[in-house]
Amino acid sequence: MKLRLLKEFIIEKLIFLSGIASILFVILIFTFLLKEGISFFKEIGLKDFIGGKYWYPISEPERFGILPLILGSLLVTLGAIIIAVPLSIACAFYISEVVQGKAKDILKSGIEMLAAIPSVVLGFIGIVTLVPWMKKVLNLPTGLTALSGSIMLGLMAMPTIISISEDAINAVPKAYKEGALALGATRWQAMYRVVIYAALPGIIAASMLGIGRVIGETMAVMMLSGNAAVIPSTLLEPVRTLTATIAAEMGEAVHGGLHYYSLFAIGIILFVITFMINVIADIFLHRNKK
Amino acid sequence: MSKIITNNLSLWYGGFQALKKINLAFQEKRITSIIGPSGCGKSTLLRVFNRMNDLIDGVRIEGEVLIDSADILDGDFSDLVKLRKKVGMVFQRPNPFPLSVYENIIFGLKVHHLVEKSEREQIVRESLESVMLWNDLKDKLHRNALGLSLEQKQRLCIARAIAVEPDILLMDEPCSALDPQATLKIEGLMQRLKNDYTIVIVTHNMQQAARASDDAGFMLLGELIEFDRTVEMFTAPKDKRTEDYITGRYG
Ligand SMILES: Nc1ncnc2c1ncn2[C@@H]1O[C@H](COP(=O)(O)OP(=O)(O)OP(=O)(O)O)[C@@H](O)[C@H]1O
Ligand SMILES: [Mg+2]
Repeated sequence: MKLRLLKEFIIEKLIFLSGIASILFVILIFTFLLKEGISFFKEIGLKDFIGGKYWYPISEPERFGILPLILGSLLVTLGAIIIAVPLSIACAFYISEVVQGKAKDILKSGIEMLAAIPSVVLGFIGIVTLVPWMKKVLNLPTGLTALSGSIMLGLMAMPTIISISEDAINAVPKAYKEGALALGATRWQAMYRVVIYAALPGIIAASMLGIGRVIGETMAVMMLSGNAAVIPSTLLEPVRTLTATIAAEMGEAVHGGLHYYSLFAIGIILFVITFMINVIADIFLHRNKK
Repeated sequence: MSKIITNNLSLWYGGFQALKKINLAFQEKRITSIIGPSGCGKSTLLRVFNRMNDLIDGVRIEGEVLIDSADILDGDFSDLVKLRKKVGMVFQRPNPFPLSVYENIIFGLKVHHLVEKSEREQIVRESLESVMLWNDLKDKLHRNALGLSLEQKQRLCIARAIAVEPDILLMDEPCSALDPQATLKIEGLMQRLKNDYTIVIVTHNMQQAARASDDAGFMLLGELIEFDRTVEMFTAPKDKRTEDYITGRYG
């Protein structure tokens, strides 16, 4: 009896500790990031950092403008959104409205499994299939472009968006669909004229979460989008993203130098962006529950 | 003239027979109520007339249902859309779409490509006027319909149904979510609407059937026990079971 109480006590404390630990780690990481990054902002103003057009961290004089990187991230992400969101919504409707019974379960868990493929693997597959194909079909000097990155990121965001959107569509009261059908709408009209509006908060949240997932994504983009830190004008040029910059340059930056700290500063910017996206997604998800 | 006629109409949910050889005739431009205890098949019968049961797996229907002398049970899909234009439905729980009041009303118009865009406003106005909502909502046409009161929502659903100018209005316990006052108002509305529409109303509320309908049918366990003028049924029921039910001795 006593032993059991002791066991309960230990388990309870362990769970408590691991909970605290995870919060602690997040705080520690954030303070570390802040500490390393802040000193950089003191040196180079925030405005010059975010607004600067040139990223020449190791030339003389060095320039630390991340505008091309921000635009690169934005362009790749925007491309991914344009590719992934409509496809995912269509897919979610297909799964929830067309597929029946066992096929539905298989399809759903299959799609959720796709989310588990490591991004290096996707990047590798992209390099050997997508990149040469793009180069040939679009007749480009290189297939390593923002578009290649967007397509791969879109693919990576899709499982999240599909799965959560499908839940949202399923949660729409049947009365809406019945009402629409009773007015003579076809199943398809009921979906795109009514059901989608009822599911919209959930679908938006799903898209935000999917995008939040890919905006911080590094490997696949670094492998596929060409890594040229210049302000891009079309989707068919090589670009470099914030994440890829950190990953590619952390190894060669002199520890304690300005370059080194600038990478942490990029980290802070990224953190703020993803944090905001998650908060917005959360707001939509909660509105959906009510 | 008979608007709806059923001949030996039977319906099964899988192995369960919910309607048993129903024979009846609903008259044009009258209100017919269908009463009976819970589970006797009232909603099922109503949903045969606009073929909403098609949505449910494993439903099998036998017999004939004639609307304007055409059998609606052997129509193909395009007829189904036409059928639902002719036969509107109002549900038990008001179910306005999560769209604006305006969009709710023009939904059917869009689906059936009924009128030019420029005429829509006119129809929105007329529909809302005929359910006596126009004065309340004329300044709120572009607000979300989910913010209306329950009674307003149900009126809106009726307006939405009549915007496409159906011949028949099916109402499945349209007042059961409403308070007594709102119920009386909807009943008043039905009296006005019957000049233009053939109305079939399912109700649990015996007083409502007695008050609001011209003809009445009593159902029990999937069978139509009695069908008559409402006055007749409520003053001199022919069947013992009807009498038991309307005097409250049933169940
Ligand atoms: N989708 C379904 N699948 C199987 N059985 C059903 C289905 N819908 C209804 N039933 C059964 O058919 C019978 C008639 O149902 P129906 O809804 O028509 O009754 P009702 O008279 O409208 O009842 P209530 O007054 O409670 O609304 C009931 O016994 C019910 O359990
Ligand atoms: Mg019912």
